[in-house]
Amino acid sequence: MMFQEVWNPVIIGLFLWFAGIAGMGSVAYALMKLGKVEEKTKELSCVVFASIVLALVFVVADLSRPLNMPLAIIRSVLSGTFFYKLSTSWMTIGISLLSILLLLALLVLLRETVAKGLQKIVDAKWYLVLTGFVGFMVVIYSGFLIADAPGVPFWNNSLIPVLWILSASICAIAVLKILVHKPEVSNFLTKSGLAVDIAEAVALASLLNVSLYSGVEAARRSAEALVAGELAAAFWLLVVLVGVAVPMVLGFMLLRKEDRRLALLAAACALVGALALRILVLQAGIFLELSL
Amino acid sequence: MRLAHLWDQSRCIGCGACIAACNAANYRSTTKDNPTWGGVQTNIKRIVFDLKEKPYILLVQCQHCENAPCVAVCPTGASYIDRDGLVKINPDLCIGCKYCMTACPYGMRWLDPDFGLPEKCMGETCQSRVKAGLMPVCVTVCPAGARAFGDLDDPNSEVNKRLKKGRVVRLLEYKGTRPKFFVVVGR
Repeated sequence: MMFQEVWNPVIIGLFLWFAGIAGMGSVAYALMKLGKVEEKTKELSCVVFASIVLALVFVVADLSRPLNMPLAIIRSVLSGTFFYKLSTSWMTIGISLLSILLLLALLVLLRETVAKGLQKIVDAKWYLVLTGFVGFMVVIYSGFLIADAPGVPFWNNSLIPVLWILSASICAIAVLKILVHKPEVSNFLTKSGLAVDIAEAVALASLLNVSLYSGVEAARRSAEALVAGELAAAFWLLVVLVGVAVPMVLGFMLLRKEDRRLALLAAACALVGALALRILVLQAGIFLELSL
Repeated sequence: MRLAHLWDQSRCIGCGACIAACNAANYRSTTKDNPTWGGVQTNIKRIVFDLKEKPYILLVQCQHCENAPCVAVCPTGASYIDRDGLVKINPDLCIGCKYCMTACPYGMRWLDPDFGLPEKCMGETCQSRVKAGLMPVCVTVCPAGARAFGDLDDPNSEVNKRLKKGRVVRLLEYKGTRPKFFVVVGR
C-alpha cells in the first residue's frame, strides 16, 4: 500500500483543522453579534485569532521552500499573475482568504480586548457579515483545496468540501459549548450539534460508499484502507467512535438534561474526531495508477 | 509550437539508457535517492506491470499537457506552459506548496530533497539542448530508436511521422488533460 507522501498528513491535517475552527468560528462570532448574544464573544475572538495564526504556521511548516514564499508571492502579485491565478487555483484563493481573515480576526480581537474604540467598525453589520462570509469561504477553500487534486481520486470528490463544512461546523459548536455556560444557549448548541453530527455521519458514509464503488481503483483502495485496512483501527476509533458516535450519544443525553461535564466531554470528542478525520483522509490518499 | 514526446513501447528494449542519461545530464549523475518515486533522481519513471503471462513496462514522464492541472493549481504561476508548449517551472516563483504534485494525475513530479523544488521533465540540460535545436538526451541515447521528440504543428516532424504510422494511445485521456506524450503500442 503506497499512501501519498507529498503532503504531511499530520501537519496539513492540523492546518485544515485550525482553518476550519477559525472559519466556522468567525461565522459563529458574526451570528452571535448579529443576534445580540454577547456572552463569551471575547473568548471566541481569541480562539478564532489563535486558530488562524496556528493554521498559517502549520501550512507554512509543510512548504518545501518557505524562505522563497514572501518574494515569490510579491513577484507574482506585481506581475499580475497572482490575480489571474485566483480564477484557477484554490491555493491562490486560500492565500488571499487566509490573509483577509487574519486581518479581520485581528481587528475583532483588538475590539474585544484592548481597543474598544474599534467598536464602530467591527460591530457594524457590514463588518460582521464580511467576517462571517470570509470565514465560511475559508472552510469551503480548505475542502476544495484537496478536492481539486485530480492526482488523488479519493480526495477528488465533491463530498469532501461538504464533509469539511459539516466537520468545521461541529468544531465551532464544540468550541462554543466549551465557552458558553448559559443553559438556553447550551441547549441550542446541543440541538444544532446533534443535527450536524447526523449530517456528518451521512456525508462520511457517502464519501466511503462512493469511493468503494465508483470503479476508480485508487479511490477504492483509499476507502478500503480506512474501512478495513491499515488505517481502520484509527478511523473506527477516533473518527467514528470518538468523533461521531460518542458526541451523538452524549447529545441525545444532553437533550434530556444539560450537564456541563458531559457537554465538555462531547465537545472534546468532537474536536478530536474532526482532527483525526482530516489527518486520516489525507493519509489515505493514493495516487492514480497508470496503465495502458 | 507544440513540442511533444513519443515513446514506442513496441520498440523499447527496457535497457534504461534514457533513465540513466536523464540522471547524468540533468542531475549530474547523482547517486542520491529520488525521495518521491524511489530509485535514482531522474525525470523518467519506469513502471513494471507483472501480469505473469505477459509482463510489460511503461516508461512515463511529464506529459506536457495542453490543459495541465499542475499549471492550473499553481498559486503563483511558477508552473507554466511556455511558448514551445512545454510545461516548465520558474524556481523564483515556487513556494514549495507541492500542490502541483498532488494535482498531476500522472504523478510525474518529484521533490528535490536539497532545494525543495518539484522536478520534472524537462530538466535544465534538456531545455538548453532543445533551445539549441538538439533532441532531449533520452531521445538521443535510445539504442532502439524507441523515442521521438518534435513539434506537433510541423507535419514533417519525427513525432508526426511516427504518429501516422503506429497505433498510439495517450495516458488518462479521460481526465481532459490533453497530454502531449504519445505511447506507440503497435503498428
